[in-house]
Amino acid sequence: MHAVVVPVGADLYAVPIDWVRQVLVAPSITTLATAPSRVLGLFNLRGEIVPLLDTAALLGVGVIDPVAFAVVLRSSRGPVALAATGMPERLSMDGVPAPSTLPGTTGTWHVDGRVLVSIDPSALLAAAGLVGPGPGSPGVPVAA
Amino acid sequence: MLALAQVQDLFVQEAVVRLAHLSHLLLELERTGGSQELVDAVFRELHTLKGSAAVADLDAVSRCAHELEELVEPVRAGQRPVTPELIDTLLAGADRLAAEISATHPVPEILVDNLETVTPDTVTSGATEPNGHSSGGAAHAGAVLVSMDRIDELVRLVGEAATAHLRVGGLLNDRFGVDPASCAEFNDLSRAINELQDRAMRTQMVPVATITDNLQRAVRDLARAQGKDVRWETRGAETELDQGVLTRLSESLLHLVRNAVDHGMESPAERVAAGKTPHGTIRLHAMQLGSEVIIAITDDGRGVNIENVRRQAERQGVDTDGMAEEELLQLTFRPALSTTSFVTDVSGRGVGLDVVRANVEAARGRVEVRSQTGGGSEFRIVVPITLAVLRCLLVEAGGQRFALPFHRVVVSLPPASAARAHAEGRPVVLLDGRAVQSSALAETLGLPTGMHPSGPIVVLADTAHQHAFQVDRLLGQRDVVVKGLSELLPHLPVLAGASVEPDGSVLLVLDPPGLIQRARHSSRPTPPSAADEDGMTRRRILVVDDALVVRELQRNILERAGYQVRVAIDGSQALSRLAEEPSDLVLTDIEMPVMDGFELTASIRAHPTLANIPVLILSSRADDTDRQRGLDAGADGYIVKSGFDEGSLLTAVSRLIGGRS
Repeated sequence: MHAVVVPVGADLYAVPIDWVRQVLVAPSITTLATAPSRVLGLFNLRGEIVPLLDTAALLGVGVIDPVAFAVVLRSSRGPVALAATGMPERLSMDGVPAPSTLPGTTGTWHVDGRVLVSIDPSALLAAAGLVGPGPGSPGVPVAA
Repeated sequence: MLALAQVQDLFVQEAVVRLAHLSHLLLELERTGGSQELVDAVFRELHTLKGSAAVADLDAVSRCAHELEELVEPVRAGQRPVTPELIDTLLAGADRLAAEISATHPVPEILVDNLETVTPDTVTSGATEPNGHSSGGAAHAGAVLVSMDRIDELVRLVGEAATAHLRVGGLLNDRFGVDPASCAEFNDLSRAINELQDRAMRTQMVPVATITDNLQRAVRDLARAQGKDVRWETRGAETELDQGVLTRLSESLLHLVRNAVDHGMESPAERVAAGKTPHGTIRLHAMQLGSEVIIAITDDGRGVNIENVRRQAERQGVDTDGMAEEELLQLTFRPALSTTSFVTDVSGRGVGLDVVRANVEAARGRVEVRSQTGGGSEFRIVVPITLAVLRCLLVEAGGQRFALPFHRVVVSLPPASAARAHAEGRPVVLLDGRAVQSSALAETLGLPTGMHPSGPIVVLADTAHQHAFQVDRLLGQRDVVVKGLSELLPHLPVLAGASVEPDGSVLLVLDPPGLIQRARHSSRPTPPSAADEDGMTRRRILVVDDALVVRELQRNILERAGYQVRVAIDGSQALSRLAEEPSDLVLTDIEMPVMDGFELTASIRAHPTLANIPVLILSSRADDTDRQRGLDAGADGYIVKSGFDEGSLLTAVSRLIGGRS
């Protein structure tokens, strides 16, 4: 599986590459008044207004502060970004993963001496209740 | 060669337009009695749909079109007259056809331009085959079908170009010391981009005519079902407005025209007795006035019964003494008030004018009513042509900039001219001698406060309240291009959207009604008495039905919606339960042992302390006589069980007593 690694504090999470639209250095954020803490704010991505989510808060492993990078995902409900504390990189993961426990995660992988936990963005957003006002799933990756 | 899926996509695009045209032709056929030309046109539409569906391998659709075609054939041959019953069958057939199409293939969201210009003949391109089967193209000189996604993308890109253009201007100035305004090339580009932006916005405009056939159909069907003779007229249907605005309004307009038939229009006999023509007229008149569009629905029926409105309002504790007729009419937009005495499941599934008003306000518009007893009513909806650009007042609060839609701003006051005071445990601002509740905007938004304890004041209004907000600074007013927030975000009632600023930052546009509600809720000095763990008051409902299954089903639906539910098995037990503890609403069946629903309703109305509890009757009896008996007994609403689903029950309940908070 090809993935983009999202560093969150001391942890490393892997997002399937099909979901990733682009990676940005910490964008300038407008805080979203009255939003839950897992929504860090909004930023402008070439005219599109994109929400930035606190990856740590979504996973239930603390909060991200400060945001170093943003990984923009494409979903059928529009773009959404996950915050990272370190520089994301591309990686290939093979074999069968060990189980993982956090909601929205799909397994634990050992790659070159590092431990990575893979994320299913769709399940992660749904687990955090970020499914928007409409029916259906929070979204699936759409073709580039 | 096109893949089958592509052929089907094209077919669906074509069929949407053809079906709309077919409905239009059928209604015309009925209205005018039917010329040979119209009958031929109907036949042609069905024939082409049949052929195209067969090409797209959609057999069920093709079969359905074929059956309808067979019905029209004898009319075409002059062997069968055009009767209302035939039109009923054909319209129902067109609905079935639409259902078949959407069942086999999802209908894409498409911007259908003026039906006058985009008739199917202009849509199917020159590729019509000799056998009459269309190959389903989508282009022709003069008109094309464009998906909304593409238009949204176009508008977004134009916005992006405009933002980049401003940045280039800044760059010219800062890095090269060139004033962009003095640069002819830069000015040319500015002009072109402005024009492009204007044209891109216009692509989202559609004429009101795109929804009038549906309204005419609703009027026709309901009038026929109720034995009324109603004519439908439209004026100014070519008036254009934003497709998003029109979509938001279509449900409200549908409700208003159904209301006009159901509540406003008399039967032919009643009309004749009142010295009127036996047929009534419902008219839709649309017009553009500056940056607003006005859509009026007028009927020449019996008008709103003002005395009835006054009685209902007084039962809700509204002091109507000294109210002019006009003010009383405005009360019809209050929840739980109706232009008739009943919540019916005819005029929009138990939805009232309060919902119409809420929908119109969501489109940043307003609704007005005029009525003359015996002479008819007029409902006017006034909306901005587009939601995309909004005049806003810009303010700073808690160190952040916000935009407040101007149509909700009552007044903005500099620090010196705001008269501040304290009343009933909370801060107020005196406005024209009235005390208006006041909050710090930053505090309402959960931002740090205390920077400017006596900053400027902005008074905002929703339909029910005014509320003063103290801000750090007033930054002036300007037009803001508003975008909706991501669908992935939870609903945030205080926000109407966001906008990208020329410097690339994101500006939040606040939603005054949501803001006022939040401020009022958070500034309550004492918590409400009957509150659950969320701090929300739970409305209490007594469900009365002798059938266990019905009782438990209703309990389940209502409890899931957040209501507190008690049950009783007949009218007599219900009265005992109410004596122990009153409820906010009684939901009752009619046929029950010991004491039936009518008797229960009458007993509640006659009781000194229970008389004001709203009663909603839920019965399997669809008879008008029962409805009338319910009214006479003092019920506030009547829902027929056969037509009731979870949604209509909750809507009716919420309309009578509001949601769970």
